[in-house]
Amino acid sequence: MLSTLQPPRSLSLLPLRRFQISKTIVSAASSKTIDTSVISPPQSQILTTRRSLLSGETTAVEIAKSYLSRIRLTEPQLKCFLHVSENVLKDAQEIDQRIAKGEELGPLAGVLIGVKDNICTQGMPSTAASRILEHYRPPFDATAVKKIKELGGIVVGKTNMDEFGMGSTTEASAFQVTANPWDLSRVPGGSSGGSAAAVAARQCMVSLGSDTGGSVRQPASFCGVVGLKPTYGRVSRFGLMAYASSLDVIGCFGSTVADAGMLLHAISGYDRFDSTSSKQDVPEFQSQFPSVDHFESKPLNGVKVGIIRETLEDGVDSGVRSATQEAASHLEALGCILTEVSLPSFSLGLPAYYVIASSESSSNLSRYDGVRYGNQVMAEELNKLYECSRGEGFGGEVKMRILMGTYALSAGYYNAYYKRAQQVRTLIRKDFKAALEQNDILISPAAPSAAYKIGEKKDDPLAMYAGDIMTVNVNLAGLPAMVLPCGLVEGGPSGLPVGLQMIGAAFDEEKLLKVGHIFEQTLKGSSFVPPLLANVA
Amino acid sequence: MATRALLAVIYASPNRCYISPSRIKIQSLTCSSSSHYYQRQSRKNHRIARSYSSDSDSSVLQPPDVARLAQTARISLTPAEIEECETKIRRVIDWFGQLQQVDVNSVEPAIRAEMDGGNLREDAPETFDNRDSIRASIPSFEDAYLKVPKILNKE
Repeated sequence: MLSTLQPPRSLSLLPLRRFQISKTIVSAASSKTIDTSVISPPQSQILTTRRSLLSGETTAVEIAKSYLSRIRLTEPQLKCFLHVSENVLKDAQEIDQRIAKGEELGPLAGVLIGVKDNICTQGMPSTAASRILEHYRPPFDATAVKKIKELGGIVVGKTNMDEFGMGSTTEASAFQVTANPWDLSRVPGGSSGGSAAAVAARQCMVSLGSDTGGSVRQPASFCGVVGLKPTYGRVSRFGLMAYASSLDVIGCFGSTVADAGMLLHAISGYDRFDSTSSKQDVPEFQSQFPSVDHFESKPLNGVKVGIIRETLEDGVDSGVRSATQEAASHLEALGCILTEVSLPSFSLGLPAYYVIASSESSSNLSRYDGVRYGNQVMAEELNKLYECSRGEGFGGEVKMRILMGTYALSAGYYNAYYKRAQQVRTLIRKDFKAALEQNDILISPAAPSAAYKIGEKKDDPLAMYAGDIMTVNVNLAGLPAMVLPCGLVEGGPSGLPVGLQMIGAAFDEEKLLKVGHIFEQTLKGSSFVPPLLANVA
Repeated sequence: MATRALLAVIYASPNRCYISPSRIKIQSLTCSSSSHYYQRQSRKNHRIARSYSSDSDSSVLQPPDVARLAQTARISLTPAEIEECETKIRRVIDWFGQLQQVDVNSVEPAIRAEMDGGNLREDAPETFDNRDSIRASIPSFEDAYLKVPKILNKE
């Protein structure tokens, strides 16, 4: 339980925070001096909301109105949402009525949550950002959404993404391109770009995304928010439109580690509708978020941290490398024991991932045939109906991956590609297991660079795939990982955020959350608020 | 700040197809120098890939025939799309070729991350309580049937 809570911050009064990175270029645009003594560590929006509602300081409707107003103001520039719910105020009113009656409130009461558009929400459009599902309204809620609603959470809307999760920039959406709140000419990352940007821009408090090869962690890094990928099987995939079934997970975004952790706790647990969901107990993650005032002088004393050597070699931007090394020093200052670890199979992860993901997606996306749901292009013959509905409904990147997967799984090619990739997966798992036997967590950058310009990688698939090098191995191994902002590098009007990735052993999200929370709360100049918000009330 | 893409390529010495993980050399490339490299690598990868092909007799890993793949995947592509796709897909498939050079002898394939196992449900059907909502999504529906055009046998 958190024993002290700071009052909610007024976002419009916040000056830009800047993290001092020694020996790297600092943004010339900002010449403000930062008085670190007045910057308080970031506070959990979930707990702040709860306290405000219970004390009567504000109502759920007032909170909802302020967020909806911020959405109205910022959406024309950001385009995070494909659909904003018409029921936000009604849902908020229900919460207020429950408070008035003195009824018990769930832990997410009044919390405004964005949901990635490949996660089914009953009655609300769920398109996976694809034309083939353009008007589709699912008849059911995904289990993760059902749990959120049961605990009092309010679904604000459906966020933009790369079509069917295939992409790293959110440019592959069939409908719109989301902009990075830190620099509107840059990508927010992908494929959960809309969810990450919406939290960064405070259009919602927390959001759900999905992570198949880094689709929660990389946009978290690009947008300066916390992105949490649970262990495979921790969260039910029922209602998540499948991309690669052996790799997909639903993940959480928050502006603090505590928020991401509390949202994860809410959606975790065994589900009979998902045969790959785990029966492992879900620990009380809340106990990992004590107030910074209660920290000991070396709160992470004895925690063994392995920094992955292969992630700091050539090809990683110098600013990212410095920020990661600074983060490692910060962990050392907190009492961690840092060593360098090597994962020899590391670079094999990228081709193995794309073989597996393309192959599994070619199978998973065969259900979109225009017959039972989605857009149908009528034809005189059945195969033509399939071909035309899919040809017109799918975007270029999706078609390419389906075709690559079809090739890799063709008769006679299975051993050369898919089976081989699965064997490489075994090698990768072994390397991680060995490293995590010697260390409590592993760290690396979340991506080789900060956010790049919109359009920069659009025509070169391999250039885009290369950016996933830091994240895909974690999906292949099925491990939990979290990205949290650790610094800024040059770019954009006020610098661009860079995230640190922490990787834990299977089902050990607790350790990640504990280390991440302490890291975040003790980081100097640690409020990552994009400059866009300085002008928005 | 320019962003450099990292492409790690693992290559064996010409006389050996086996490489142990501890001897993997990693070469980083920038994308701009790629096209000449890819042509060379593409020919080498196809040569090596052939030695790993699964079927005993005639199977050689042919480069992807996009028109044929599109037919298998039931996706219609315009000629322009086929051409664009072909170039991109060939580059990616060539890049996949580096997996051929890894020693996976006696390595078990991992279907997914480790699992609890035994998660089968009862083989008992349950009626979904919102059938109307399912029906509302079906593009062509008549009486109790989904309506689709006839199938024409091409043979």
